Amino acid sequence: MFRNYFKIAVRNLLRHKGFSFINISGLAVGMASAVLIILWILSEVHYDDFHEKKARIYQVWNKATFSGKLQCWNTTPKVLAKYVQQDVPEIEQATRAEWPNNYLLTYLEKRLKSQGNIVDSNFLQVFSFPLLQGNPKSVLMDMHSMVVTETLAKKLFGDDNPVGKIVKLDNKENFTVTGVLKDIPTNTRFKFEFLLPWSYLRRNGNDDEYWGNNSVSNFVLLKENATIDAANNKIKKIKVRYDKTEDPSWEMFLYPMSRWRLYGNFTNGVEEGGRITFVQLFGIIAAFILLIACINFMNLSTARSEKRAREVGIRKVVGARKGALVVQFIGESILLSLIAGVIALLLVQVSLPGFNSLTDKKLSIPYGSWEFWLASLAFVLLTGLVAGSYPAFFLSSFRPVKVLKGTIKTTNAFITPRKVLVVLQFTFAIILIICTIIVKQQIDYARDRETGYNKNNLVYHFLDGDLDKNYQLVKTELLSSGIATSVTKTSAPLTQGWSDSWGFQWEGKDPNDKTDFDRFCSDEGLAKTAGLQFVAGRDFNLQQFPTDSTGIIINESAAKVMNFKDPLGQIVKDNGIDWHIVGVIKDFILQSPFYPTKPMVIEGSKGFFNCIHIKLNEARSTADNLAKAEAIFKKYNPEFPFIYKFVDEEYAKKFDNEKRTATLAALFAALTIFISCLGLFGLAAYMAENRVKEIGIRKVLGASVGGITTLPSKDFLKLVIVSILIASPIAWWAMYKWLQDYPYRVEIRWWVFVAAGLTSILIAIGTVSYQSVRAAIANPVKNLRSE
Amino acid sequence: MEKIYRTEEVETVALNKLNLDVKEGEFVAVMGPSGCGKSTLLNILGLLDEPDSGSFLFNGIEVAKYNERKRADLRKRNIGFVFQSFNLIDELTVFENVELPLIYLGVTAADRKTRVEDVLDKMQIMHRRNHYPQQLSGGQQQRVAVARAVVNKPKLILADEPTGNLDSSNGNEVMQLLTDLNEQGTTIIMVTHSEHDARYSHRIVRMLDGQTVLENIMV
Repeated sequence: MFRNYFKIAVRNLLRHKGFSFINISGLAVGMASAVLIILWILSEVHYDDFHEKKARIYQVWNKATFSGKLQCWNTTPKVLAKYVQQDVPEIEQATRAEWPNNYLLTYLEKRLKSQGNIVDSNFLQVFSFPLLQGNPKSVLMDMHSMVVTETLAKKLFGDDNPVGKIVKLDNKENFTVTGVLKDIPTNTRFKFEFLLPWSYLRRNGNDDEYWGNNSVSNFVLLKENATIDAANNKIKKIKVRYDKTEDPSWEMFLYPMSRWRLYGNFTNGVEEGGRITFVQLFGIIAAFILLIACINFMNLSTARSEKRAREVGIRKVVGARKGALVVQFIGESILLSLIAGVIALLLVQVSLPGFNSLTDKKLSIPYGSWEFWLASLAFVLLTGLVAGSYPAFFLSSFRPVKVLKGTIKTTNAFITPRKVLVVLQFTFAIILIICTIIVKQQIDYARDRETGYNKNNLVYHFLDGDLDKNYQLVKTELLSSGIATSVTKTSAPLTQGWSDSWGFQWEGKDPNDKTDFDRFCSDEGLAKTAGLQFVAGRDFNLQQFPTDSTGIIINESAAKVMNFKDPLGQIVKDNGIDWHIVGVIKDFILQSPFYPTKPMVIEGSKGFFNCIHIKLNEARSTADNLAKAEAIFKKYNPEFPFIYKFVDEEYAKKFDNEKRTATLAALFAALTIFISCLGLFGLAAYMAENRVKEIGIRKVLGASVGGITTLPSKDFLKLVIVSILIASPIAWWAMYKWLQDYPYRVEIRWWVFVAAGLTSILIAIGTVSYQSVRAAIANPVKNLRSE
Repeated sequence: MEKIYRTEEVETVALNKLNLDVKEGEFVAVMGPSGCGKSTLLNILGLLDEPDSGSFLFNGIEVAKYNERKRADLRKRNIGFVFQSFNLIDELTVFENVELPLIYLGVTAADRKTRVEDVLDKMQIMHRRNHYPQQLSGGQQQRVAVARAVVNKPKLILADEPTGNLDSSNGNEVMQLLTDLNEQGTTIIMVTHSEHDARYSHRIVRMLDGQTVLENIMV
């Protein structure tokens, strides 16, 4: 029996090539889109899944009240690890990680910059980064030990055995490679190419026992039989127990590794999701795209039901039960889905590089995994079942008495399942069009926002190697050679906030005020270098005013918070230094362009420095400027490569996430429209075929080609208009919710809905009109005769 | 039995307390003007439709209230159909069309092959076994349809104007096939407009307005 079904299915596919093409291509594109999204979702869900002790690993978080709001964050004091290990018996191990940093590594003649992480020596006993060489218990015990990944080892040592090799770090100290790690996977929160021991950081004087310095990540591994509640109870008040100056309400808690990636957003102390929202949203989009492709199959199968009706009648007459026919038709759709699945796999393979670059992932198809093939088979079966079940029940319910007489006619009811399905398809497509437009508007809105400084021809370089020592020489030469018009030393790039504090003190400050300030440092000339605008006072000038080394410049938001009548000359205490205000600048965007600028203080040359900002001379070519600047940097910092960044390019990266969202929304919208239009094209073809007699009669009676062309278009137009009416409020609600995350946001304008509606109408009419025109220009005599 | 078709505005009595008795081995022709209820009667006799009221005894068993599943079971084991428009499945070859009832009966592939080839031989259509219906003449298509109707050796063959789409030569051939089958013991009930075809039967039942009005016994 199944052979018979198979034969007839294959012959049907070959006989109705147009129908088969529309169905298979629509399903293949839908399945490929769904598979890409599923791969993305799986990579998110299985983030950091490879750690063997994942279920017992936690990070310590802070929970404290600022300006009346309970806030949670995950940077904690360096001293914490020692005390949690000591005070909480449920904890098997505590381990710390510094922020990753770029270091210059030198091995013989080879020099390269690489990202390293300073971690506690037990780091590799808590986290499962497999060692190809070395013992996880001992590889980081020595202060000058170093563990490298296999890729870094290859880069440094070629095919030689890395263990025992001596590498110079930042051209200062030698480290011995004690272990080689398998390259770390992409789906982990840790990003490093090598590890250094915490003892090195301690030796450099960068370790501290200050409970107020929330600057590192503290992780703990619970004992196997320990409960999280018991550990949390003991850790809750650990900070206030040791730091008597702290607000007694300050708490700490353990946050499980399983929630780091997808959750971690807290509002007023309560976990409120995170990336999980995107995962869910992508899941819904994948399901809808697949459903839309299935809807094409359902619609086309039922639209051409008259063609299959006679077969159904005959089969029933010769003894087929309804169940057998259902099995036959579902089998046909599974066969079709199988063919589409194979094509989808090819499409996924071809589009993966593009999708990876769009989503910043390294996804791949796990061809070697039997689970993958099993899941694929289940996916194909499910798609076949979803697509085939409605047509199967619809077709198999035909009564032979009627179909063999040829009395089955398509219904002209006001609401039919087919119309509902077309409306569903277009509703989804229109929602995505509206979302794409609004996300794009939001990006443009933030991009057009006044940054408060001049990004053009502004580059920065990290203050590595001998640059700090030779800064004045470098600066003088850059200026005297005409390469630069202004040079300033800063604590961080102008596009990044590296330091913040609520510990600033000034006269009249409310003791309960914990307003968080961005902390930035500059030696002098920042206003000129970055084009900042002063509303009061002046820039630092160490030549004229040597006391500017302890001067500060504040922004307008800080001036409001500090509430000085005349801020100039006022004293602000920070890190044990009395800083005096020399100027007030207009706010400029240091961090996110989607958020209001925070209060900010720029401390003078007594502060800390990591960068040089250079305003290139606009009168000369940029390439020439950079070439000459490189020569100067090489002269004074010969061991380090000249690695500069343009501030405007770095600023543009702040929009990467939103741009990615917009591109994905546009991509999904385009795919949805493509699949929906394929279906519409097929439906229009069948409808034109069914109305061939009506069109012939109308033409004989004098109807014009134009009048007839609009006949089928009108029917579809009504459905698209209904879709617009349903989609608009849904899209408005979704975008309203999305925009709430952005304090700086666009207003949702009515014309967006009109534009999306008109676009979908034009696309629908364009799709249908080919069939309408073909039907309208056909010779009526021929059509009527054929009837 | 009685059968009434209802729409929102019209009520049509297709069978009006009709009473008919057909004996095993009989060849009965049903005649009458269009709309008199011939096809409705044939559909009910073939268990494709059910009467609104009354009784239908098939082989002595009451089947009027059988559900679709039971009707399908009874039909596939006992009844063969021959239609005016042949009703072959275009996507299947001659062999596969004839094989279809045997598939639904669960006959093994080897048995099916023997039985289909046997019946195709008898219908003298064996040489066309791998052809598709659209590659055959009308007469050949009806031979295939008859072959399909008899392949499961039914007790009853219902023929709905079996020669309606055929020329007289092909029509006579088909009628001769039916006569031969009847002589081998198969009961045949045939709806026809053709007096010529009706003369092949043992008895002509004439219908009007859903009732039998006259019966002619053929000598």
